[in-house]
Amino acid sequence: MSTTWHLPDELTQRYAAGRLAPAQVMSVEAHLARCGRCRAAVPYEQEWLAESWERVADVVDRPALRLSERILHRLGVPEHVARLLSATPSLSRAWLAALTAVLAFAVVSARLAPGQEDVLLAFLLVAPVLPVAGVAAAYGRHVDPVHETQAATPMSGPRLFLLRAVTVLAVALGLTGGATLLFPGPLGLSAAWLLPALALGLGLLALSGRLSPLLAGAVLVTGWFGAALVCHAVLHDRFLPFHPAAQALYGAATLALLPLVYLRRRRLAPGEPRWTRL
Amino acid sequence: MDTTVENTTVAVRALTKRYGRATVLDRADLDLGPGVTGLLGPNGAGKTTLLRCLATTLAPDDGEIRALGLDPARREQRTALRRRLGYLPQDPGFYPHFTVFELADYVAILKEVTDRAERHREVRRVLAEVDLADRARTKVRKLSGGMRQRLALAQALLADPELLILDEPTVGLDPEQRMRFRALVSRLGESRTVLLSTHQTEDVAALCERVVVMNGGRVVFEGTPGGLAAVAAGRVWISDAPPSGSELFWRTADGRYRTLGERPPGGAPAVPAIEDGYLLLLGAPVEAAA
Repeated sequence: MSTTWHLPDELTQRYAAGRLAPAQVMSVEAHLARCGRCRAAVPYEQEWLAESWERVADVVDRPALRLSERILHRLGVPEHVARLLSATPSLSRAWLAALTAVLAFAVVSARLAPGQEDVLLAFLLVAPVLPVAGVAAAYGRHVDPVHETQAATPMSGPRLFLLRAVTVLAVALGLTGGATLLFPGPLGLSAAWLLPALALGLGLLALSGRLSPLLAGAVLVTGWFGAALVCHAVLHDRFLPFHPAAQALYGAATLALLPLVYLRRRRLAPGEPRWTRL
Repeated sequence: MDTTVENTTVAVRALTKRYGRATVLDRADLDLGPGVTGLLGPNGAGKTTLLRCLATTLAPDDGEIRALGLDPARREQRTALRRRLGYLPQDPGFYPHFTVFELADYVAILKEVTDRAERHREVRRVLAEVDLADRARTKVRKLSGGMRQRLALAQALLADPELLILDEPTVGLDPEQRMRFRALVSRLGESRTVLLSTHQTEDVAALCERVVVMNGGRVVFEGTPGGLAAVAAGRVWISDAPPSGSELFWRTADGRYRTLGERPPGGAPAVPAIEDGYLLLLGAPVEAAA
């Protein structure tokens, strides 16, 4: 079939460079299908062909984004960072499901038995531990099957640990905060876990330069429950860890730990080998 | 033994590592240059510990490493070295719920290849190198042991490393895959420094220009594969009857006996192989072997 008009050179060049809108591409290709002269004018370099094929292959091979990656992407997190975070053990579906189940159980128990102080106390004691457990299980040889491989890459150490730790902290605090809103009773009391959670979370980060996150988490959690036990058994006040004076203490600890963690951020490298000459 | 290395890219001096009372690396010295070097040694010889120190995932208690002109004891230089390093650990872990493509993609991000198009191109390249391109969308948990090993090798090749450290890379590979692996590694060794540990003396004979033997945490031989075979020169015999002494011997496929050590009655000299030199080296005092 012959045709009486031909594609302008500029349009042909833009088509070859992949810079046309889809509607224009369809129009140009419809013309190319019946015009040998214009077909011959389209650059047909090996490099161009390879690039085009690569674009097609990438669309076929590109892994689908996981739910967590899609959420992070919506929040403005770059694609490659979202992929890094999707591998975090304590951001896995099983871990998040367990966390959600624990919180849902606490909320349902409190709603079924309103006025029961035991349920509220259990929630307040366990809630600060959840972010700590998440961070402790986010990075390290004992929790991450790919640790040895990633330890030999430039991203390993403080960059990856902090990236994962901050994300896990945010997710755990967000979920626990959501559960708090559903808790019956005064919001002020049921939110009394927040400052101890922040203090414990930052304490874990501060200790991670010297101890593994798992060990640091175990030390802090033991200390937290130990202090609660002392309040109950010796001082005879189960809610003492959540009194205003105690909250001021957690606030002070949080304010003191924040700059410390920031200043030591390059040294927060759990599992990073320590050369004796350093 | 021939310890001369042209264009040294990796130098290890008096490297020592202890776990409690056990000394796993005992003042080990080593020089590597471009090309493929095989690391041989029995279990517990210190091979994996040495490789982990070179791969910067383990710090020695004493001694020095210079790799590609960089000192891993210094944090900034360690990160710089990691940018130029490919490492296949002895026990590479995987995220079983990831696909082959996703896992390689993940390691590529860890190697700071952040541009998606460039990264995916690199992932496809390494998967093709290890013949896993058609498994890109397969979940890691569904791969066979050999395929997992090839995936582990693929991640080590990402970002075109100048120094490749491979800890027992041929474990789990069938004979055909092993042949492909040898072709791939020998090609890589044309322009890079490759150090691979293995229990297979055939691998060393087939693709290594140099060989290092470790025993008891020390380097007991450093030289060419021919030099390692020459350790057994004049001490390998073929006979119809087994030796009467305590020499090491085994029955060969043709029903005769291959003896290492003193000449057995009726023994005829045989051409020594790498394996003969290696076995004699491990059974002999270090001074005698050197």
